[in-house]
Amino acid sequence: MLRKRIIFTLIYSDGFFMQSRNFRLQKVGNLTWLERNYRFQKIAFSLDELIVLNASKNVKSMLQFAETVSELVNDVFIPIAAGGGIRSEEDAEMLFNHGADKIVLNSALFEKPELVESLIKIYGSQSIVASIDYKKSEGVNEVYINDGITKIDIPLEEYLKYVESLNVGEIYLNSIDKDGTGFGFDLEVISEMVTKIKMPLIIAGGAGNEMHLSEGLKINGVSAVATANLFNFIGNGLPKARKKIIDSGINVANWT
Amino acid sequence: MTVVIVDYGMGNIRSIKSTLNYLGVQDVIVSFDPKVLKNGDKLILPGVGSFGKAIARIRERGLDVCLNELVVNGSKPILGICLGMQLMGISSNEDGINNGLGLVKGLVTKFDNTHLKIPHVGFNQVMINNKLKLYNGFEEEADFYFTHSYKMTSSYDISQCHCKYGDDFVASFENNNIAGVQYHPELSQNNGLHVFRNFLEKF
Repeated sequence: MLRKRIIFTLIYSDGFFMQSRNFRLQKVGNLTWLERNYRFQKIAFSLDELIVLNASKNVKSMLQFAETVSELVNDVFIPIAAGGGIRSEEDAEMLFNHGADKIVLNSALFEKPELVESLIKIYGSQSIVASIDYKKSEGVNEVYINDGITKIDIPLEEYLKYVESLNVGEIYLNSIDKDGTGFGFDLEVISEMVTKIKMPLIIAGGAGNEMHLSEGLKINGVSAVATANLFNFIGNGLPKARKKIIDSGINVANWT
Repeated sequence: MTVVIVDYGMGNIRSIKSTLNYLGVQDVIVSFDPKVLKNGDKLILPGVGSFGKAIARIRERGLDVCLNELVVNGSKPILGICLGMQLMGISSNEDGINNGLGLVKGLVTKFDNTHLKIPHVGFNQVMINNKLKLYNGFEEEADFYFTHSYKMTSSYDISQCHCKYGDDFVASFENNNIAGVQYHPELSQNNGLHVFRNFLEKF
Protein backbone atom coordinates (compact mmCIF):
# COMPACT_ATOMS: atom_id res chain seq x y z
CA MET A 1 0.00 0.00 0.00
CA LEU A 2 1.20 3.48 -0.85
CA ARG A 3 2.29 5.24 2.34
CA LYS A 4 1.44 8.78 3.31
CA ARG A 5 4.31 11.20 3.77
CA ILE A 6 5.62 13.62 6.38
CA ILE A 7 7.53 16.52 4.87
CA PHE A 8 9.57 19.28 6.43
CA THR A 9 9.67 22.62 4.65
CA LEU A 10 12.61 24.92 5.15
CA ILE A 11 12.00 28.58 4.42
CA TYR A 12 15.11 30.34 3.17
CA SER A 13 15.81 34.00 2.56
CA ASP A 14 19.10 35.73 1.73
CA GLY A 15 21.43 33.30 3.50
CA PHE A 16 19.19 32.53 6.46
CA PHE A 17 16.48 30.09 7.44
CA MET A 18 13.28 31.71 8.54
CA GLN A 19 10.21 31.12 10.62
CA SER A 20 7.28 32.38 8.60
CA ARG A 21 4.04 33.53 10.14
CA ASN A 22 1.29 34.53 7.76
CA PHE A 23 4.15 35.00 5.26
CA ARG A 24 5.97 37.52 7.44
CA LEU A 25 9.49 36.22 7.85
CA GLN A 26 11.53 36.11 11.01
CA LYS A 27 15.20 35.25 10.78
CA VAL A 28 16.11 32.13 12.77
CA GLY A 29 19.63 31.14 11.78
CA ASN A 30 22.06 30.32 9.01
CA LEU A 31 23.22 26.92 7.78
CA THR A 32 25.47 26.45 10.82
CA TRP A 33 22.54 27.09 13.13
CA LEU A 34 20.41 24.68 11.16
CA GLU A 35 23.02 21.97 11.29
CA ARG A 36 23.40 22.40 15.02
CA ASN A 37 19.69 22.15 15.70
CA TYR A 38 18.46 20.06 12.78
CA ARG A 39 20.93 17.39 11.79
CA PHE A 40 19.21 16.21 8.67
CA GLN A 41 21.55 13.25 8.42
CA LYS A 42 20.14 12.17 11.78
CA ILE A 43 16.51 13.17 11.61
CA ALA A 44 16.07 12.19 7.95
CA PHE A 45 14.70 8.89 9.23
CA SER A 46 11.75 10.82 10.56
CA LEU A 47 11.06 12.51 7.25
CA ASP A 48 9.90 11.30 3.89
CA GLU A 49 10.93 14.42 2.05
CA LEU A 50 12.45 17.83 2.45
CA ILE A 51 11.22 20.95 0.67
CA VAL A 52 13.36 24.09 0.58
CA LEU A 53 11.75 27.34 -0.48
CA ASN A 54 13.44 30.63 -1.25
CA ALA A 55 10.95 33.15 0.12
CA SER A 56 13.16 36.22 -0.15
CA LYS A 57 11.19 39.30 -1.01
CA ASN A 58 14.32 40.90 -2.46
CA VAL A 59 15.77 39.90 -5.82
CA LYS A 60 16.33 36.18 -5.40
CA SER A 61 19.84 34.92 -6.06
CA MET A 62 19.34 31.50 -7.64
CA LEU A 63 23.02 30.59 -7.40
CA GLN A 64 23.33 31.41 -3.71
CA PHE A 65 20.13 29.47 -3.02
CA ALA A 66 21.25 26.50 -5.12
CA GLU A 67 24.54 26.39 -3.23
CA THR A 68 22.66 26.25 0.05
CA VAL A 69 20.55 23.40 -1.30
CA SER A 70 23.70 21.52 -2.27
CA GLU A 71 25.04 21.90 1.28
CA LEU A 72 21.80 20.52 2.68
CA VAL A 73 21.63 17.40 0.52
CA ASN A 74 24.95 15.85 1.48
CA ASP A 75 24.41 12.42 3.01
CA VAL A 76 20.66 12.86 3.18
CA PHE A 77 18.99 10.00 1.32
CA ILE A 78 15.52 11.42 0.95
CA PRO A 79 13.98 13.46 -1.88
CA ILE A 80 14.62 17.18 -1.84
CA ALA A 81 12.34 19.60 -3.64
CA ALA A 82 13.52 23.18 -4.09
CA GLY A 83 11.97 26.31 -5.48
CA GLY A 84 11.16 29.96 -5.13
CA GLY A 85 11.85 32.38 -7.96
CA ILE A 86 12.15 29.86 -10.81
CA ARG A 87 11.46 31.84 -13.99
CA SER A 88 13.50 30.04 -16.63
CA GLU A 89 14.80 26.64 -17.72
CA GLU A 90 18.25 27.76 -16.54
CA ASP A 91 16.94 28.41 -13.00
CA ALA A 92 15.43 24.92 -12.88
CA GLU A 93 18.55 23.31 -14.29
CA MET A 94 20.70 25.05 -11.69
CA LEU A 95 18.61 23.61 -8.85
CA PHE A 96 18.61 20.09 -10.32
CA ASN A 97 22.37 20.29 -10.81
CA HIS A 98 22.82 21.32 -7.19
CA GLY A 99 20.99 18.27 -5.88
CA ALA A 100 17.26 18.99 -6.08
CA ASP A 101 15.21 15.92 -6.98
CA LYS A 102 12.14 18.01 -7.74
CA ILE A 103 11.47 21.68 -8.24
CA VAL A 104 8.68 23.77 -6.78
CA LEU A 105 6.86 26.29 -8.98
CA ASN A 106 4.39 28.90 -7.82
CA SER A 107 4.14 32.23 -9.70
CA ALA A 108 5.30 30.60 -12.94
CA LEU A 109 2.18 28.42 -12.92
CA PHE A 110 0.11 31.53 -13.52
CA GLU A 111 2.56 33.81 -15.30
CA LYS A 112 4.52 31.35 -17.43
CA PRO A 113 2.50 28.22 -18.19
CA GLU A 114 4.69 27.71 -21.30
CA LEU A 115 7.72 27.37 -18.99
CA VAL A 116 5.85 24.76 -16.93
CA GLU A 117 5.12 22.84 -20.11
CA SER A 118 8.72 22.87 -21.30
CA LEU A 119 10.03 21.85 -17.85
CA ILE A 120 7.63 18.89 -17.85
CA LYS A 121 8.91 17.89 -21.29
CA ILE A 122 12.48 17.83 -20.02
CA TYR A 123 12.16 16.56 -16.47
CA GLY A 124 8.78 14.81 -16.46
CA SER A 125 5.62 15.66 -14.49
CA GLN A 126 6.82 13.84 -11.41
CA SER A 127 9.65 16.35 -10.98
CA ILE A 128 7.33 19.33 -10.67
CA VAL A 129 5.61 20.36 -7.44
CA ALA A 130 3.03 23.10 -7.89
CA SER A 131 2.78 25.37 -4.87
CA ILE A 132 -0.45 27.28 -4.29
CA ASP A 133 -0.91 29.88 -1.56
CA TYR A 134 -4.40 30.95 -0.54
CA LYS A 135 -6.10 33.18 1.98
CA LYS A 136 -9.71 33.45 3.02
CA SER A 137 -11.46 36.77 2.55
CA GLU A 138 -15.19 37.21 3.14
CA GLY A 139 -15.83 33.53 2.61
CA VAL A 140 -13.85 33.31 -0.64
CA ASN A 141 -10.58 31.40 -0.89
CA GLU A 142 -8.33 33.78 -2.79
CA VAL A 143 -5.11 32.70 -4.50
CA TYR A 144 -1.88 34.67 -4.14
CA ILE A 145 1.37 34.50 -6.08
CA ASN A 146 4.74 36.28 -5.70
CA ASP A 147 5.32 35.20 -2.08
CA GLY A 148 1.80 36.06 -1.03
CA ILE A 149 1.95 39.59 -2.43
CA THR A 150 -0.12 39.48 -5.61
CA LYS A 151 -3.73 38.37 -5.56
CA ILE A 152 -5.05 36.75 -8.69
CA ASP A 153 -8.63 36.76 -9.81
CA ILE A 154 -9.30 33.05 -9.91
CA PRO A 155 -10.89 31.39 -6.89
CA LEU A 156 -9.02 28.48 -5.32
CA GLU A 157 -11.14 25.63 -6.64
CA GLU A 158 -10.93 26.84 -10.22
CA TYR A 159 -7.21 27.53 -9.86
CA LEU A 160 -6.56 24.02 -8.55
CA LYS A 161 -8.22 22.60 -11.64
CA TYR A 162 -6.20 24.93 -13.86
CA VAL A 163 -2.95 23.83 -12.19
CA GLU A 164 -3.95 20.20 -12.49
CA SER A 165 -4.55 20.75 -16.21
CA LEU A 166 -0.90 21.84 -16.55
CA ASN A 167 -0.02 18.21 -15.84
CA VAL A 168 2.29 18.92 -12.89
CA GLY A 169 3.23 16.10 -10.53
CA GLU A 170 1.91 17.20 -7.15
CA ILE A 171 0.16 20.12 -5.54
CA TYR A 172 1.47 21.82 -2.38
CA LEU A 173 -1.45 23.70 -0.88
CA ASN A 174 -0.56 26.29 1.71
CA SER A 175 -2.91 28.41 3.81
CA ILE A 176 -1.51 31.90 4.36
CA ASP A 177 -3.92 32.42 7.26
CA LYS A 178 -2.67 29.33 9.06
CA ASP A 179 0.99 29.65 8.05
CA GLY A 180 3.28 29.51 11.09
CA THR A 181 0.46 29.81 13.61
CA GLY A 182 0.75 26.30 15.02
CA PHE A 183 -3.05 26.23 15.29
CA GLY A 184 -3.45 23.23 12.99
CA PHE A 185 -4.23 22.76 9.31
CA ASP A 186 -7.13 24.44 7.54
CA LEU A 187 -9.06 21.16 7.70
CA GLU A 188 -12.31 22.51 6.34
CA VAL A 189 -10.90 23.90 3.09
CA ILE A 190 -8.51 20.98 2.64
CA SER A 191 -11.27 18.38 3.06
CA GLU A 192 -13.29 20.16 0.40
CA MET A 193 -10.48 20.82 -2.09
CA VAL A 194 -9.00 17.32 -1.90
CA THR A 195 -12.15 15.98 -3.51
CA LYS A 196 -11.77 18.31 -6.50
CA ILE A 197 -8.41 17.10 -7.76
CA LYS A 198 -6.92 13.79 -8.73
CA MET A 199 -3.22 14.40 -8.30
CA PRO A 200 -1.23 13.92 -5.09
CA LEU A 201 -1.91 16.68 -2.57
CA ILE A 202 0.57 17.93 0.02
CA ILE A 203 -0.99 20.16 2.66
CA ALA A 204 0.85 22.91 4.50
CA GLY A 205 0.20 25.74 6.89
CA GLY A 206 -0.60 25.52 10.57
CA ALA A 207 0.81 22.22 11.85
CA GLY A 208 2.36 22.89 15.24
CA ASN A 209 2.47 19.44 16.80
CA GLU A 210 2.15 15.73 16.14
CA MET A 211 -1.61 15.81 16.63
CA HIS A 212 -2.01 18.31 13.80
CA LEU A 213 0.10 16.19 11.48
CA SER A 214 -2.09 13.19 12.34
CA GLU A 215 -5.27 15.17 11.66
CA GLY A 216 -3.96 16.05 8.21
CA LEU A 217 -2.81 12.52 7.42
CA LYS A 218 -6.22 11.14 8.33
CA ILE A 219 -7.99 13.17 5.63
CA ASN A 220 -8.95 10.84 2.81
CA GLY A 221 -7.01 11.70 -0.32
CA VAL A 222 -4.31 13.78 1.34
CA SER A 223 -0.96 12.31 0.23
CA ALA A 224 1.38 14.21 2.53
CA VAL A 225 1.53 16.71 5.36
CA ALA A 226 4.16 19.42 5.58
CA THR A 227 5.34 21.60 8.41
CA ALA A 228 7.71 24.55 8.29
CA ASN A 229 7.64 25.13 11.99
CA LEU A 230 11.31 25.37 13.00
CA PHE A 231 10.52 26.14 16.62
CA ASN A 232 7.99 23.46 17.44
CA PHE A 233 9.89 20.55 15.92
CA ILE A 234 13.38 21.46 17.04
CA GLY A 235 15.85 18.83 18.28
CA ASN A 236 14.16 15.43 18.41
CA GLY A 237 10.68 16.87 17.87
CA LEU A 238 10.29 15.24 14.48
CA PRO A 239 11.49 11.74 15.44
CA LYS A 240 9.13 11.80 18.42
CA ALA A 241 6.21 12.98 16.29
CA ARG A 242 6.80 10.29 13.67
CA LYS A 243 7.00 7.57 16.27
CA LYS A 244 3.68 8.63 17.80
CA ILE A 245 2.08 8.75 14.37
CA ILE A 246 3.31 5.26 13.51
CA ASP A 247 2.23 3.94 16.90
CA SER A 248 -1.26 5.31 16.33
CA GLY A 249 -1.54 3.13 13.22
CA ILE A 250 -1.41 5.78 10.51
CA ASN A 251 -0.09 4.52 7.18
CA VAL A 252 3.41 6.07 6.97
CA ALA A 253 6.61 4.25 6.10
CA ASN A 254 8.54 2.69 8.95
CA TRP A 255 12.18 2.01 8.16
CA THR A 256 13.53 1.03 11.52
CA MET B 1 36.05 0.17 -7.99
CA THR B 2 34.93 2.66 -10.61
CA VAL B 3 31.23 3.28 -11.08
CA VAL B 4 30.12 5.29 -14.08
CA ILE B 5 26.81 7.13 -13.94
CA VAL B 6 25.65 7.38 -17.53
CA ASP B 7 24.95 11.03 -18.17
CA TYR B 8 22.37 11.99 -20.74
CA GLY B 9 22.05 15.48 -19.35
CA MET B 10 18.75 15.36 -17.51
CA GLY B 11 17.75 15.72 -13.90
CA ASN B 12 19.47 15.14 -10.62
CA ILE B 13 22.27 12.60 -10.58
CA ARG B 14 24.00 14.20 -7.66
CA SER B 15 22.05 12.21 -5.09
CA ILE B 16 23.13 8.94 -6.73
CA LYS B 17 26.72 10.11 -6.75
CA SER B 18 26.63 11.14 -3.11
CA THR B 19 25.01 7.83 -2.13
CA LEU B 20 27.79 5.88 -3.86
CA ASN B 21 30.42 8.04 -2.20
CA TYR B 22 28.73 7.46 1.15
CA LEU B 23 28.97 3.70 0.52
CA GLY B 24 32.69 4.03 0.03
CA VAL B 25 32.99 4.09 -3.76
CA GLN B 26 35.80 6.55 -4.36
CA ASP B 27 35.63 6.69 -8.13
CA VAL B 28 32.21 7.80 -9.24
CA ILE B 29 32.37 9.25 -12.72
CA VAL B 30 29.54 11.01 -14.48
CA SER B 31 30.03 10.65 -18.21
CA PHE B 32 28.56 9.93 -21.63
CA ASP B 33 31.90 9.11 -23.23
CA PRO B 34 31.81 5.47 -24.49
CA LYS B 35 35.49 5.07 -23.60
CA VAL B 36 34.82 6.04 -19.99
CA LEU B 37 31.82 3.70 -19.83
CA LYS B 38 33.97 0.88 -21.17
CA ASN B 39 36.59 1.40 -18.48
CA GLY B 40 34.09 1.51 -15.60
CA ASP B 41 33.58 -1.56 -13.42
CA LYS B 42 29.86 -0.94 -13.06
CA LEU B 43 27.32 1.29 -14.77
CA ILE B 44 24.30 3.13 -13.49
CA LEU B 45 21.64 4.40 -15.87
CA PRO B 46 19.90 7.10 -13.85
CA GLY B 47 16.40 8.26 -14.23
CA VAL B 48 14.78 11.61 -14.23
CA GLY B 49 12.91 13.12 -17.12
CA SER B 50 10.64 12.11 -19.94
CA PHE B 51 11.20 8.98 -22.01
CA GLY B 52 11.15 10.55 -25.47
CA LYS B 53 13.68 13.24 -24.68
CA ALA B 54 15.94 10.83 -22.78
CA ILE B 55 16.09 8.13 -25.46
CA ALA B 56 16.73 10.78 -28.12
CA ARG B 57 19.69 12.13 -26.14
CA ILE B 58 21.00 8.60 -25.59
CA ARG B 59 20.91 7.89 -29.33
CA GLU B 60 22.45 11.28 -30.20
CA ARG B 61 25.41 10.37 -28.06
CA GLY B 62 25.70 6.83 -29.44
CA LEU B 63 25.09 5.40 -25.99
CA ASP B 64 22.54 2.84 -27.21
CA VAL B 65 25.14 1.04 -29.30
CA CYS B 66 27.75 1.39 -26.58
CA LEU B 67 25.48 -0.03 -23.83
CA ASN B 68 24.44 -2.95 -26.00
CA GLU B 69 28.08 -3.73 -26.65
CA LEU B 70 29.07 -3.53 -22.98
CA VAL B 71 26.18 -5.22 -21.20
CA VAL B 72 24.67 -7.62 -23.77
CA ASN B 73 27.73 -8.72 -25.74
CA GLY B 74 29.91 -8.08 -22.72
CA SER B 75 28.95 -8.71 -19.11
CA LYS B 76 29.40 -5.36 -17.47
CA PRO B 77 26.94 -4.94 -14.58
CA ILE B 78 24.36 -2.20 -15.04
CA LEU B 79 21.61 -0.87 -12.79
CA GLY B 80 18.82 1.22 -14.30
CA ILE B 81 16.98 3.53 -11.92
CA CYS B 82 13.41 4.78 -12.44
CA LEU B 83 13.31 6.21 -15.98
CA GLY B 84 16.67 4.49 -16.46
CA MET B 85 14.96 1.15 -15.88
CA GLN B 86 12.14 2.08 -18.23
CA LEU B 87 14.64 3.07 -20.93
CA MET B 88 15.95 -0.51 -20.78
CA GLY B 89 12.55 -1.81 -21.91
CA ILE B 90 11.17 -2.54 -25.39
CA SER B 91 9.12 0.61 -25.76
CA SER B 92 7.16 3.32 -23.98
CA ASN B 93 4.08 5.31 -24.89
CA GLU B 94 5.27 8.47 -23.12
CA ASP B 95 5.57 11.29 -25.74
CA GLY B 96 4.20 9.00 -28.47
CA ILE B 97 5.58 5.52 -29.04
CA ASN B 98 9.34 5.33 -28.56
CA ASN B 99 11.55 2.29 -28.69
CA GLY B 100 13.76 1.67 -25.69
CA LEU B 101 17.14 0.02 -25.42
CA GLY B 102 15.62 -3.46 -25.51
CA LEU B 103 17.72 -4.81 -22.66
CA VAL B 104 14.67 -6.29 -20.96
CA LYS B 105 11.33 -7.59 -22.28
CA GLY B 106 9.16 -4.98 -20.64
CA LEU B 107 6.62 -2.48 -21.96
CA VAL B 108 6.20 0.96 -20.44
CA THR B 109 2.73 2.47 -20.31
CA LYS B 110 0.96 5.17 -18.34
CA PHE B 111 -0.96 4.29 -15.18
CA ASP B 112 -4.46 4.18 -16.59
CA ASN B 113 -6.60 3.48 -13.55
CA THR B 114 -8.87 6.51 -13.22
CA HIS B 115 -9.25 6.05 -9.47
CA LEU B 116 -5.57 6.54 -8.77
CA LYS B 117 -3.68 9.68 -8.03
CA ILE B 118 -0.99 10.07 -10.67
CA PRO B 119 2.01 10.25 -10.38
CA HIS B 120 2.54 7.41 -7.95
CA VAL B 121 4.60 9.24 -5.32
CA GLY B 122 5.93 8.08 -1.99
CA PHE B 123 7.04 4.96 -0.21
CA ASN B 124 5.33 1.76 -1.26
CA GLN B 125 5.91 -1.90 -0.52
CA VAL B 126 7.85 -4.10 -2.89
CA MET B 127 7.07 -7.80 -2.70
CA ILE B 128 10.40 -9.56 -2.73
CA ASN B 129 9.28 -12.88 -4.15
CA ASN B 130 12.38 -13.21 -6.28
CA LYS B 131 15.29 -13.10 -3.90
CA LEU B 132 18.10 -12.58 -6.33
CA LYS B 133 21.31 -10.66 -5.87
CA LEU B 134 19.66 -7.24 -5.48
CA TYR B 135 17.71 -8.35 -2.42
CA ASN B 136 20.34 -10.36 -0.65
CA GLY B 137 19.57 -10.02 3.06
CA PHE B 138 16.04 -8.61 2.66
CA GLU B 139 12.79 -9.90 4.19
CA GLU B 140 9.71 -10.70 2.06
CA GLU B 141 8.76 -7.08 1.57
CA ALA B 142 10.34 -3.66 1.92
CA ASP B 143 9.36 0.00 1.46
CA PHE B 144 10.98 2.00 -1.32
CA TYR B 145 10.45 5.53 -2.64
CA PHE B 146 8.70 5.82 -5.99
CA THR B 147 7.84 8.79 -8.14
CA HIS B 148 6.57 8.03 -11.64
CA SER B 149 3.55 8.28 -13.93
CA TYR B 150 4.55 5.43 -16.25
CA LYS B 151 5.09 1.83 -15.28
CA MET B 152 6.69 -1.27 -16.75
CA THR B 153 4.86 -4.55 -17.13
CA SER B 154 6.02 -7.81 -18.65
CA SER B 155 4.47 -11.14 -19.42
CA TYR B 156 7.89 -12.74 -19.65
CA ASP B 157 9.90 -14.14 -16.81
CA ILE B 158 12.29 -11.28 -16.18
CA SER B 159 12.80 -12.17 -12.50
CA GLN B 160 10.63 -9.31 -11.48
CA CYS B 161 9.51 -8.12 -8.08
CA HIS B 162 6.19 -6.36 -8.01
CA CYS B 163 4.73 -3.32 -6.39
CA LYS B 164 1.00 -2.72 -6.31
CA TYR B 165 -0.56 0.61 -7.17
CA GLY B 166 -3.92 -0.17 -8.64
CA ASP B 167 -2.46 -3.04 -10.61
CA ASP B 168 0.85 -4.81 -10.16
CA PHE B 169 3.80 -3.39 -12.01
CA VAL B 170 7.51 -4.16 -12.23
CA ALA B 171 9.31 -2.66 -9.23
CA SER B 172 12.55 -4.34 -10.22
CA PHE B 173 14.01 -6.98 -12.49
CA GLU B 174 17.30 -8.77 -12.62
CA ASN B 175 18.92 -10.83 -15.34
CA ASN B 176 22.52 -11.78 -14.59
CA ASN B 177 24.46 -8.54 -15.02
CA ILE B 178 21.44 -6.40 -16.00
CA ALA B 179 19.12 -5.05 -13.33
CA GLY B 180 16.64 -2.26 -13.04
CA VAL B 181 14.60 -0.68 -10.26
CA GLN B 182 11.55 1.52 -10.72
CA TYR B 183 12.02 3.08 -7.30
CA HIS B 184 14.79 5.47 -6.29
CA PRO B 185 17.24 3.58 -4.07
CA GLU B 186 19.15 6.84 -3.52
CA LEU B 187 16.02 8.29 -1.90
CA SER B 188 14.88 5.21 -0.01
CA GLN B 189 16.75 5.47 3.27
CA ASN B 190 18.39 2.27 4.55
CA ASN B 191 16.54 -0.05 2.18
CA GLY B 192 17.94 1.88 -0.76
CA LEU B 193 21.47 1.84 0.61
CA HIS B 194 21.11 -1.93 1.05
CA VAL B 195 20.13 -2.42 -2.61
CA PHE B 196 23.06 -0.26 -3.76
CA ARG B 197 25.41 -2.24 -1.54
CA ASN B 198 24.14 -5.47 -3.08
CA PHE B 199 24.66 -4.08 -6.58
CA LEU B 200 28.20 -3.05 -5.69
CA GLU B 201 29.10 -6.30 -3.96
CA LYS B 202 27.13 -9.09 -5.65
CA PHE B 203 27.17 -8.06 -9.30
